[in-house]
Amino acid sequence: MDSKKKILLIDDDKDFLMATKLILEKGGYEVFLAEDGHSGVETAKSVNPDLAIIDMMMETWSEGFNVVSQLRTSESGKEIPLIMLSAVDLQGPYQSFEPPENLPTVDMVLHKPIKADDLIKYVGQLLEK
Amino acid sequence: MIEKNDAEHILIIDDEESILDGCRQALEKSGYSVITTSDGPDGIRIAREKKPELAFVDLKMPNCSGMDIIELLTKDLPGIVLIVITGYASIVSAVEAMKKGAYDYLPKPFTPDQLRAVTKRGLEHRFLKIEADRLREEKERMEKNFITFVSHEMRSPLVTIQQYIETLKVIAGDDLKKEVFEIIERCDKRIQSLQDLVEHWLDLSRIENGTFSQAKESLALVNILEKSIEELNPLCHRREIRLISDIQKDLPNIMGDQESLLRVFTNIIGNATKYTPAGGTISVDTDFDDYYIYVKITDTGSGIPQDKLPFIFEPFYRVKGKDERQRGSGLGLTFSRKIMEAHDGKIEVTSKEGEGTTFILKFPRLYEL
Repeated sequence: MDSKKKILLIDDDKDFLMATKLILEKGGYEVFLAEDGHSGVETAKSVNPDLAIIDMMMETWSEGFNVVSQLRTSESGKEIPLIMLSAVDLQGPYQSFEPPENLPTVDMVLHKPIKADDLIKYVGQLLEK
Repeated sequence: MIEKNDAEHILIIDDEESILDGCRQALEKSGYSVITTSDGPDGIRIAREKKPELAFVDLKMPNCSGMDIIELLTKDLPGIVLIVITGYASIVSAVEAMKKGAYDYLPKPFTPDQLRAVTKRGLEHRFLKIEADRLREEKERMEKNFITFVSHEMRSPLVTIQQYIETLKVIAGDDLKKEVFEIIERCDKRIQSLQDLVEHWLDLSRIENGTFSQAKESLALVNILEKSIEELNPLCHRREIRLISDIQKDLPNIMGDQESLLRVFTNIIGNATKYTPAGGTISVDTDFDDYYIYVKITDTGSGIPQDKLPFIFEPFYRVKGKDERQRGSGLGLTFSRKIMEAHDGKIEVTSKEGEGTTFILKFPRLYEL
């Protein structure tokens, strides 16, 4: 039986999807792509991924959070590890980032760009749990 | 826009019934909804209640001053267009009414056409004013969002290119010739410096439009200085530069933003590493008196020519003839000076060619009660 774990990648930047997909495939995963929040949630329903990686800023500033809360309340996304991607340095002295109230929980936040080794390592760790 | 219904409401306040009737007929014919009253206080009440787009106010009424009505309504209803009706002899008072906020005046006697013309002009003025206000608000909103927008739009492609380079190294790294790999590495470095430039530019824009958040609190500079030294130690080690510090443990506190000050120190020490040759020294020491705290960062680098010193805090200014590989964003010192100004502090520089450069950062001392 094919035991490749399935990873869903949601980001509105097609090139970023492609680049990250190749890294994950090299790491031995089967990768599914979605270019916006809505189709991401739909894809999650149909492929039942083992882990999802979601970009924070897509159509809107905080679309990623909407996707996360939708996944968290759906059958397919309730239990799986979720990684949030951000191009904003959350530690920096910026006012522009204000997390919405009742922030849905993700398992990890990674900053773009992601080192290939780190990505494979973190995804592996989260899937082992 | 706040259009309640199709017909625009026009209020006429005048003590002469014949004028009220004439105006009503002329304006209703043109499709306006007209309310009239011969009583001043009643007119004010109606205006507040119905919020007409435009009101005609007779300046001379027996028991009420039209001037007061103008003054009151201008204050109460910022959107209303007020036009005074005035007799031939009272042009002077019409001018006074306009100073108080009336838009125009209509001298008696007037024809229905004149009435309609002045009404039309007044309503057009109101529309333009509303439109201008809307555009101004839109512009302000855009200016605020602009930086946020630019930061996303500029960062996204850079991040994606970096991610592609990372991917390239992973999926093809082993197959690439050494020269090709080196080219990829160089691309990576250049992208990184472009990204630094974007970050610095964004920081400067944020400082300028006031959205750079600085959480001012009582701070011990010692901790921040030690942190920035720790951050730069590896780099100095690689470049074979000695980084020594003599920081007084009893240095008084200042009011400041930890994050941005950390970047100021890192910037300046980082700069020093670019101009200090292997075997050189960078020293960080502190001092204070009753009023100020001083942080002194000295290097034994190549120094900056006297005639160039006044320009080094300007954006993108670079002292020529230095190692081209060590280019920064060209905004580091500009940023540092702005941050120092935001701390009511100062940044000063002295330099001697061939001997080295000293930056002195001066902070007002904080006296805590």
